[in-house]
Amino acid sequence: MNNAWVKYGSYFVLIVLIQGLVVNNIEMSIYVNPMIYPVMIIMLPFEFNILLTMLVAFVLGISVDAFSNTFGLNASAAMVIGYLRPTVLNIIKPRDGYDPVLLPSIHDMGKLWFLAYATVLIFIHHLWFFIIEVLRFDQIGQILLKTLFSLTFSLFLIMLFQYIFYKPSKK
Amino acid sequence: MRNLIQFLKKFRDFLIFFILQVFVLTLFFNSKDYHRSKMTNTSSSIIGWFVEKKYNIDKHFSLSDANEKLLDANAKLKAQQPESFYLLQGDIYYVNDTLKKEQFQYIPATVINSSSNKRNNYFTLNKGSAQGVEVGMGVISDDGVIGIIADVSHHYSIVMTVLTEKSSTNVKLLKNNEYWFLTWDGLDSDFAQIDDVKRDIPIEIGDDVVTRGGGTQFPEGIPVGTIDEIISKDGEQTMGLNIKLNVNYNAVYHVYVIKNMMKDEQLNLESPYLEDE
Repeated sequence: MNNAWVKYGSYFVLIVLIQGLVVNNIEMSIYVNPMIYPVMIIMLPFEFNILLTMLVAFVLGISVDAFSNTFGLNASAAMVIGYLRPTVLNIIKPRDGYDPVLLPSIHDMGKLWFLAYATVLIFIHHLWFFIIEVLRFDQIGQILLKTLFSLTFSLFLIMLFQYIFYKPSKK
Repeated sequence: MRNLIQFLKKFRDFLIFFILQVFVLTLFFNSKDYHRSKMTNTSSSIIGWFVEKKYNIDKHFSLSDANEKLLDANAKLKAQQPESFYLLQGDIYYVNDTLKKEQFQYIPATVINSSSNKRNNYFTLNKGSAQGVEVGMGVISDDGVIGIIADVSHHYSIVMTVLTEKSSTNVKLLKNNEYWFLTWDGLDSDFAQIDDVKRDIPIEIGDDVVTRGGGTQFPEGIPVGTIDEIISKDGEQTMGLNIKLNVNYNAVYHVYVIKNMMKDEQLNLESPYLEDE
């Protein structure tokens, strides 16, 4: 148990710093605003309590907000996927359920499953983020473009992050 | 009974989600007005420390660029004001003149964190209340207007740039002093917009737009940009303008925070006549 707390705590600090100091500085275009920090929520264990997930999302979002001067925007988007994650996991559940030893990662669940799972959650996250950020219905096209382009880059970064920092779980 | 408990549990989850959402969204929407924003941001000391460390690494990649800009600015100043001299007192530079009363002082600062591709873009400066920076002061660079100080800590401050949703800068046309408010629609960091321009004003593409200087934040005549496009729709009484901004917000290194010595005097005089906004 202790071990897990240390592990997730260090992932948390690492992810916030990568997002705040590196990824936030990728400014290719107004349409590309990649985010790596949702990986923290995505990679929580399968049976993680929904209230704890929202708490993690809240603290994570506020920390990222502090780095990017967005005052609660990231916290809001992170909590949305924290709240919806159990539902999404339930919908794409394999026939014989999830093995509690495994993690929702590329290594444990396979590329295709992970891509579907991450795409759904990151899409919801980005869509919510940009809708709240822009909040104008006449710019709905812009919001969708921002969501799609940022989604592509975020997914790439998240998969890269997994290949670098995660190992397959031991069965 | 089991269904009821299941339902209550779901409802509890949603309720907590809802309350937290209301809380963070209130924070976010309040942050758009600089006099109402209060939250941890890059001006707080822990985050500021990290951001400054990052800047200390980053800056080496932009040194030559920044130096070139400073050289340009120095040359321009030398040519403009051969007779005035600068006194150095602490970290504030001011012009000594017996004929005119000093109104604006400039606090030099460096941008240590910035963004230009969000809907609301903020800069973090490495000067704070210890150096005399206060909320509401104007910020300019050598190229033109940057924004207004939205938050200060002891050693850092946050600038709400022109590229934010709620920013509205007092600007005027250089050639005939017609004045408007400058806003930003969030689509392109090179262009800002002016709405409600009367049709009978002689406007040409390429005309210069500068600050009006009526407010307390900026002196008159700080460059803002040039008119790039005139948008006039049939049947409307007013036109819109697209302004090509002078400042490249992707590459701002050194800025000046403007301290208006007569701000309190002006505000005290105006307050009985102007409604509190």
